Amino acid sequence: MDKVVIELVVNGKPHPLRVEPRKLLSDALREDCRLTGTHVGCEHGACGACTVLVDGRPARACLTFAVQMEGHAITTIEAVAENGRLSPLQQALHEEHGLQCGFCTPGIVMTFEAFLRDEPDPTEAQIREVLSGNLCRCTGYHNIVAAIRKAAARMRGDEEYVAP
Amino acid sequence: MSRREFDYIGKPLARKEDRRLLTGTGRYIDDIEIPGALHACFVRSPHAHARIRAIDAGAARAMPGVITVVTGHELAQWTTRLRMAPPIAGLLPVEMTTLPIDRVRFQGDPVACVVAIDRYVAEDAAEQVVVDYEMLAAVTDMWHALDAGAPLVDEALPSNLISHQTFVHGDPAARCREAFKVVEATFSQHRQTHLPIETRGCAAVWDEGREHLTMHIGSQVPHPMRTQLAARLRLSETQVTVISPDVGGGFGQKIALYREELTVAALARELKRAVRWREDRMENLLAASHAREDFCRTRAAVAKDGRLLSLELELREDFGAYCFYPANYLARVVAMILTGPYKVQDYAYDVKVVLTNKCGNGPMRAPMAITSWVMDGTLEAVARELGLDPAEVRRVNMLHKDDLPYTMATGEVLEDITPHETFEAALAAVDYAGFRARQSAARREGRYLGLGICVVVESTTYGSRFYKAAGIPGSGHESAWVRIEPSGAVNAAVGLGATGQGYETALAQAVAEGLGVDPARVRLHLGNTDVAPYGMGSRGARGGTAGGGALYLCAQEAQAKVLAIAARMQGLDSARDLRLVDGRVVRHSGNAWTDTGLTLADVARTAYLDPVALPPGMTPGLDFSKAYDPPPMTYSNATHMCEVAVDVETGAIRIERYLVAEDCGTVLSPVVVTGQQHGAIAMGLGGALFEEVLYDDSGQNLSGTLADYLLPTACELPNFELIPMHTPNRRTPAGIKGMAEGGVMGAIGAVVNAVNDALAPFGVVADRQPLRPDYLRALLRDRAPNVETA
Repeated sequence: MDKVVIELVVNGKPHPLRVEPRKLLSDALREDCRLTGTHVGCEHGACGACTVLVDGRPARACLTFAVQMEGHAITTIEAVAENGRLSPLQQALHEEHGLQCGFCTPGIVMTFEAFLRDEPDPTEAQIREVLSGNLCRCTGYHNIVAAIRKAAARMRGDEEYVAP
Repeated sequence: MSRREFDYIGKPLARKEDRRLLTGTGRYIDDIEIPGALHACFVRSPHAHARIRAIDAGAARAMPGVITVVTGHELAQWTTRLRMAPPIAGLLPVEMTTLPIDRVRFQGDPVACVVAIDRYVAEDAAEQVVVDYEMLAAVTDMWHALDAGAPLVDEALPSNLISHQTFVHGDPAARCREAFKVVEATFSQHRQTHLPIETRGCAAVWDEGREHLTMHIGSQVPHPMRTQLAARLRLSETQVTVISPDVGGGFGQKIALYREELTVAALARELKRAVRWREDRMENLLAASHAREDFCRTRAAVAKDGRLLSLELELREDFGAYCFYPANYLARVVAMILTGPYKVQDYAYDVKVVLTNKCGNGPMRAPMAITSWVMDGTLEAVARELGLDPAEVRRVNMLHKDDLPYTMATGEVLEDITPHETFEAALAAVDYAGFRARQSAARREGRYLGLGICVVVESTTYGSRFYKAAGIPGSGHESAWVRIEPSGAVNAAVGLGATGQGYETALAQAVAEGLGVDPARVRLHLGNTDVAPYGMGSRGARGGTAGGGALYLCAQEAQAKVLAIAARMQGLDSARDLRLVDGRVVRHSGNAWTDTGLTLADVARTAYLDPVALPPGMTPGLDFSKAYDPPPMTYSNATHMCEVAVDVETGAIRIERYLVAEDCGTVLSPVVVTGQQHGAIAMGLGGALFEEVLYDDSGQNLSGTLADYLLPTACELPNFELIPMHTPNRRTPAGIKGMAEGGVMGAIGAVVNAVNDALAPFGVVADRQPLRPDYLRALLRDRAPNVETA
């Protein structure tokens, strides 16, 4: 298949690429942009591991072609910690043991970086509803939910919060 | 164990692994850049059972970007067969080629491998490989596998009965004659699969000049993997390095050397180029490894008060088409530990394992998962038949402190376990009597609540003597090294293969404790066979005891040498009064510990750079190795409590509360142990409620996507309440017992018992999983609740 020239803007940086039109965004990010933090778990949009932000909104990179992404701003897990400082969500996941093998973790971080911006004070039910789009085989979700609640509380400025 | 006993073991330290995994800088197989690497894609059988008449790869080979297409014929030249023939009575020996040559045995069986310049091209070409099949009748049901005239899954065998063992202790038949009642119960557990979120995959790099293979592969057992790879490629173990990087979950699926991985390694050597493979999700669901699918029937002779007089077990397991493990291996443990926390000496079992035209089975987190459900489910049946309280029936049969050590009918010895203690604590925590009152009130309103109890005794660490007695080749020991570098930095390694548990954190605490340094200074090196000592790796729940124990003992030896040098440097006769604390040498005098001013770094510098200052005859350096063989078996125990609400109109189950009281011995890291408890319960609940590998009658797998194979999401799982009741094992280093599988066992039993408790007024019993709504509705259809029971 003939390759086409496109430009992907990822984490604020332009990446001029030559890719086949059928190349998935997940593969283009990993192979052409060399950003391997976006993980591929199912390639049919079910597991959520490949979730990235497209113009600030969560999207499955495995259900998206790279060529569709010209003119859009893509954010990946590599851009979440600024200057090496974990985001409040990342820090809470660390403190609450919200990850084990870590393969699904980037997708969860991207999903909730966006969600907590839109919904700074979610209920546990809301968190679980949104988290249901990301499959985790290791944790049983308990600690992920606790970490998200802790992160939300801190981002609201509620430092008193103690995870249940 | 008092909390003061340890300085670093048992501290809730956040994980060392997290930072890289949270920032997208972890390194899983597919993240490793290998310039020029080719990509493999497998052509798989669409049929459950067929003869391969011919394979035409001409069109595929002619496609631009395709390097080669190989089949079972080439692989038979390049590799040896797998022979699975341990000397176990009743187990038939089997062999398999690296890829099938003339016959496929299940849908998804790999028949050819395409190698191309990228994965897209390789997948395109795989579609162009034409395989001429002659379809054969398939056996897809373990109940028909032993029928006269059933198709043979393996033509080299006399029948599909691959393994059959029986055992009797005491006289169950006599007990049945004497019994107040004989109660039968059945338990059917369906086929499941491990589903690590990172599928299988590998990258093989062949160095033609050095004649050396580097195999990057996510593995729970890097050393046994290397041994097998070398043997089957006819290489020496000096010619193979296995490197297991960050691994996105294993759960038992990443132990065996699979045919795809061996094919990729062989291709790298033949092509003299790096070859890599990443399985897609459908392949993982269809063809990686399946698990479970077993049926149990129990027969319990009981006294009037529910006391067990004897127990008989009949077990049949569907092992699928290929044996990557001895076929008796999983079922054997169920039969061996079935009676668990209960006193019964008259015991018999009959265990049959059959082959069918399905993906081969392997151990999945708690290979003996069904055990506790079968045992506690049998006591539930006894309670139902005799009109007794199910908690009371457990109580009259349960092992108490005074009964220990207790030799089970199978010869297994239980000691240092606390089933009675966790049971009573869990009952108290859920307010058992209070629940019964709530349940009655709810039933009067037409709401159906249930409480399920499951008492678990988990076999955790299998020592070498167990393997020897079981006739299984292999060993239970593990090896470690600890190296204090000239700067005082501490490196350590062990043969385990991490798949997300948090070993770098928990094992650092074991080293820190043995040596006397802050765990932050300790770096674990895992997964590289050139670096870590030969070990049996991670399987079962052996990591903590075997791996952590080896490291702890090794680090203690390191501390002893450090202190001997420190004594010399201080001008002391002996190191008797010295200790290393937080990397500083302290001295005991006058009932107090005082800092000597010496640090580990001072001692290390002397050990490496000023050997003449060492005690006479002492070897320079601070480099230690230790092998440790655990007792034949260690056990942990727990009691699980699950409260559910069942919507009898829709068959939907909601988990209202989940609680566990657990004793898993000395805990290296409470953070890691908590995570393992959560994860194991989640896997048990997922399996009991949703997950199912489904085949139709012709052997077509109907669960090839994550829309069909249903993993539980955050909406289905509850929060978990944990009551830690840990007591040490007296025979292991630091008292470690091991854990991580018991949660699966307990969750399966607790949730099914809870649902049956909820449905009791309807006089129905769910005896097979998964407890999907349509199954519950089928049980409830045309049934009205009995008001008396309510």
